[in-house]
Amino acid sequence: MTPRYVLRRLVQVVPAVAGIVLIAFLAIHTAPGDPVLALAGEHGDAAYYAFIRAKFGLDRPLPEQLVVYVTRVARGDLGLSFVHGRPVAVVIAERVPTTLLLIVTALALSTTVGVALGVLAARRAGRPADLALRTGALLAHAMPSFWLAQMAAIAFALGTGWFPVQGLTDARRSLIGWRYALDVAHHLVLPALVLAAGELALTTRLTRTGVLEALATDYARTARAKGLPERAVVRHALRNALLPLVTVVGSRAGLVVTGAVLVETVFAWPGLGQLLLSSIQTRDVPVLLGLFLLASTTVIVANLVTDLAYAWLDPRIRYE
Amino acid sequence: MHRGYDGIALVALFLALASPTSARAQEVPTRGGTLVVAISADPGHLNPAITTSGATHTAAELIYNGLLGRDERGDPVPDLAESWTVEQAGAVYRFRLRDGVTWHDGTRFTAADVKFTFEEVLLKFHARTKASMGSVLTGIDTPDDRTVVIRFKQPYAPLLQQLDATEAPIVARHVYQGSDPQTNPANASPIGTGPFKFVAYRKGAEIRLARNPGYFKRGLPYLDEIVMRIIPDSGTQVLALENGEVDFLWGVPGPQQSRLQADNRFRMAQTSYHPGGSNCIMTVSFNLDRPVLKDVRVRRAIALALDREAFLRQILFGEGKVATAPISSEITWAHARGLALPGFDRPEAERQLEVAGWKKERESTRVARGVAGVADGTRLAIDFLHFPTFAKYGELMRQHLSAVGIDVTQRPLEPAVFAPTVFKDRAFDTNVISYCNGPDPEIGVRRMYHSSQIGPAPFTNAAGYRNERVDVLFDQGARTVERDRRTPIYRQIQEIVVQELPYVWLVETPTTRAWSAQCGGFRAWTGLFAEAAFCKR
Amino acid sequence: MLRTPAGAIGLVLTLALVALALLADALAPADPFASVAPPLAPPSRAHAFGTDDLGRDVLAGIIHGTRTSLLVVASVIALAAIIGVAVGAVSGYWTGAVDDVLMRMTDFVLVVPRFFLAVVVIALFGAGTDRLILVLGLTSWPAIARVVRAQTLSLVRREFVDAARALGATDTRVLVRYVLPGALPAALVVISLNAASVILLEAGLSFIGLGDPARMSWGYLANNAQRFLRVAWWVALFPGAAIALAVLGLNLLGDALSEMLEPRAPRPT
Repeated sequence: MTPRYVLRRLVQVVPAVAGIVLIAFLAIHTAPGDPVLALAGEHGDAAYYAFIRAKFGLDRPLPEQLVVYVTRVARGDLGLSFVHGRPVAVVIAERVPTTLLLIVTALALSTTVGVALGVLAARRAGRPADLALRTGALLAHAMPSFWLAQMAAIAFALGTGWFPVQGLTDARRSLIGWRYALDVAHHLVLPALVLAAGELALTTRLTRTGVLEALATDYARTARAKGLPERAVVRHALRNALLPLVTVVGSRAGLVVTGAVLVETVFAWPGLGQLLLSSIQTRDVPVLLGLFLLASTTVIVANLVTDLAYAWLDPRIRYE
Repeated sequence: MHRGYDGIALVALFLALASPTSARAQEVPTRGGTLVVAISADPGHLNPAITTSGATHTAAELIYNGLLGRDERGDPVPDLAESWTVEQAGAVYRFRLRDGVTWHDGTRFTAADVKFTFEEVLLKFHARTKASMGSVLTGIDTPDDRTVVIRFKQPYAPLLQQLDATEAPIVARHVYQGSDPQTNPANASPIGTGPFKFVAYRKGAEIRLARNPGYFKRGLPYLDEIVMRIIPDSGTQVLALENGEVDFLWGVPGPQQSRLQADNRFRMAQTSYHPGGSNCIMTVSFNLDRPVLKDVRVRRAIALALDREAFLRQILFGEGKVATAPISSEITWAHARGLALPGFDRPEAERQLEVAGWKKERESTRVARGVAGVADGTRLAIDFLHFPTFAKYGELMRQHLSAVGIDVTQRPLEPAVFAPTVFKDRAFDTNVISYCNGPDPEIGVRRMYHSSQIGPAPFTNAAGYRNERVDVLFDQGARTVERDRRTPIYRQIQEIVVQELPYVWLVETPTTRAWSAQCGGFRAWTGLFAEAAFCKR
Repeated sequence: MLRTPAGAIGLVLTLALVALALLADALAPADPFASVAPPLAPPSRAHAFGTDDLGRDVLAGIIHGTRTSLLVVASVIALAAIIGVAVGAVSGYWTGAVDDVLMRMTDFVLVVPRFFLAVVVIALFGAGTDRLILVLGLTSWPAIARVVRAQTLSLVRREFVDAARALGATDTRVLVRYVLPGALPAALVVISLNAASVILLEAGLSFIGLGDPARMSWGYLANNAQRFLRVAWWVALFPGAAIALAVLGLNLLGDALSEMLEPRAPRPT
């Protein structure tokens, strides 16, 4: 991986983001109905809409509006949310940590458990345990996440009483410090598990495939012949198998964000997923577009990081 | 249903609340404790004076007061105003404000706050106040700190119904003066006069309120804290109630109601009041400009073909009642009884269609033969516009009307597209709208029938109905202050529209509140629902 | 493929779904839109999966839902495949500047999050199956394009292509008759995995209220049924199970196909 490669990859990000911004702009202006209504809500009067029109330059020619829009977005000005009465960027930013907590936890869980299960499946390849593991993981992935979430809530929250049904914290108590962290962790378990379950299948399968391949190489055979214990051979195989895993986990970031929306809704987890839902219901278009921009940028950045990490990890890979 | 029990409970509560400090045998309030309330949507901001959004009003009304409040019958009771007089046959209203009321930050509350709220906030941003009072208000005077005089160009009947925290919450002049009420940061950390003060707003998660120790109603409130938890999924709300994480729900999904009724850990109460809109009736509108619907016999046939009991049973699970008049039965003095509303009569519907020229020929959908303004051979096919959440209404419409040979195409539209399509472009045959009558017919009913209210503003006269006599009657009703003189006016209106059928009034839609049996003292009929609530724990 | 149990199951499930969709009218015991029984009746002899809240037969609803869901999936796949195969083949065959430009486009479309774009489009333009198909179809082709391009690149070097060219075949003919059929199996793998994700996307969109209420797809049924999970589990169970089975079947099929093509080799992501 050369500095030139890194630079080229970084430069490629720019047109991608520009394209996303263009899509967002077109969406506002091609949607049926006056874009003013989309930006300012439906309860204003003529004077108010005129004010919004002027403020957003909606009476100006389209290309000029596009330029204004792009420059505003580049400055981080995503507009004003009329539902919240505050800048969109602020409204979104204050929810990011909550969703990030959920997604990172879920990804960490699905990766570690997935790798563990994948190794297990590879070691028992072809036997019933292998098939059971793979089918189980696949089933968890196939089930719609909101379904899984509701079942989990009924079974493990209401049923056993081990976990709460909703929220980030216990509403009745205002905790601080480590007690607060513990409360949040308690509330995090079910949503993170449900979100992780969906991602488990892919990680398990990839690890299994990667480990099986690596175990079949000459290198592994040599190691075995030299008398290395099986566990050590598997460990080495694992290290090589992790390479494709890195790519996949990175590129799945976008899908995990999607899954998070549904899980957050069921568990009333106060993150970006709920914001998405409420902005759909209230037709808060500035927030909706801001979320779209954020999600797209996240995917772009995740892909970028993944590609760079992949190139760094495996010097054998050459890119044109 | 268990309405009988609820009725007794409500009466008992009413008696208990009449003198909050004295202990009654039925429900003895205990002081202290935290009440957790589930709300369905993040309000975004907490200023109920600039919006009619249900989410904001549900979350924030406990922080404020209006000049008047409401009792369970919907009649005005003192709140910020301790007494009032109606002068000049209803053209002038004089209010005497309570003494010693303070805002949550300690500033004294005066008449200047009321004047400011109306002139700079409500009349500019609160859709219902603007639409109803805006054009007939002459001015608001404050001869002294404790007196507010509201003057109208002509007698204005509904005023006393429009002064509670839902319709006209009073905000602080010293906080909002000189700023844009829509972006003032106080909207996220409000200062009011109400029983509970604002503590924290964790966006998307919860709103925390604490008791206002300086509240002007002695002894109230009982609770230390109220937490409004945002839980968008109604199934999760019920789970949370059952799991003890939440104590009070604003609405219970239909299918779950009988289950919760049977569980004596919870109490329920049905009410037509809702902070977003009260006394609502699901109403089908006919676009009277469409040739197919111009003949009243066709409209009557459609009304006769709809089994409204089925709507009540299958969509609302029995929560509500079939509408028996154009005005909600909750507005008891205006609701007309014994009207000749079309019932469910399929054979009669078919007969009316035949007579109107729509014949059943080879296929199941009727075709026109000799119908004015419609070419012979045209199929009787209409479209039906609705919000996506009202899809079930479309499905039943389709089912019921296909049985008499009418083909219905459902067209779901998001609210922001629905509004211009129906009210600006009038590009529809039929639709269904939840028309909320409000506390007085002047507020929510006039806009459906008055010829001056035909678009483009949303949720006005969707049918495009014009009747001079009805217009005159509504104008009369607005100017007549005495209730018993208003009743016959609205009766006449209802008799006329029931004959002309610009709409079909399907079902009245109350909501059912549910709460943990450990708590009580709730007033389901007002936004200040927890002013006298308590929890025994 | 039929050698492995997973592959067999996948094939059977997928074929069963297709058959169900095609024969829906014949198989369904009742008109899915008609109220035929008391609402929320538990499974019985007359109604194997019970009835929903409007008294409609759940089994009939699911069978018809199969048709709707598969129609959506098929349309999306068709649209994505047409674009993807065209882009991939052209890119891999002619390479050079054309390849560069097309691959940049592919990379760009690949990063657009389908779910969020669908949410934005539906929130702004209103719900509708046609919109959904357009949005998903126009964003699902990159994976197909990439695979087809990779396959084309490798196939183009083979001798039979040189032979065909020597015999005077035009570029188009070579592409269509010799290269594409070779690229097809690998494309099928991606297509089947894509189909599975389209089903889940549609269900997810319906759950947050952006589905098309005029069509009775699985997503719509599952969403409608959520309210009844505690009182009438059958209304929620069967649509959810149908979704799970379809996704499972398509995934297994895809896996088996890929095993068949390149046993234990890394799969394209």
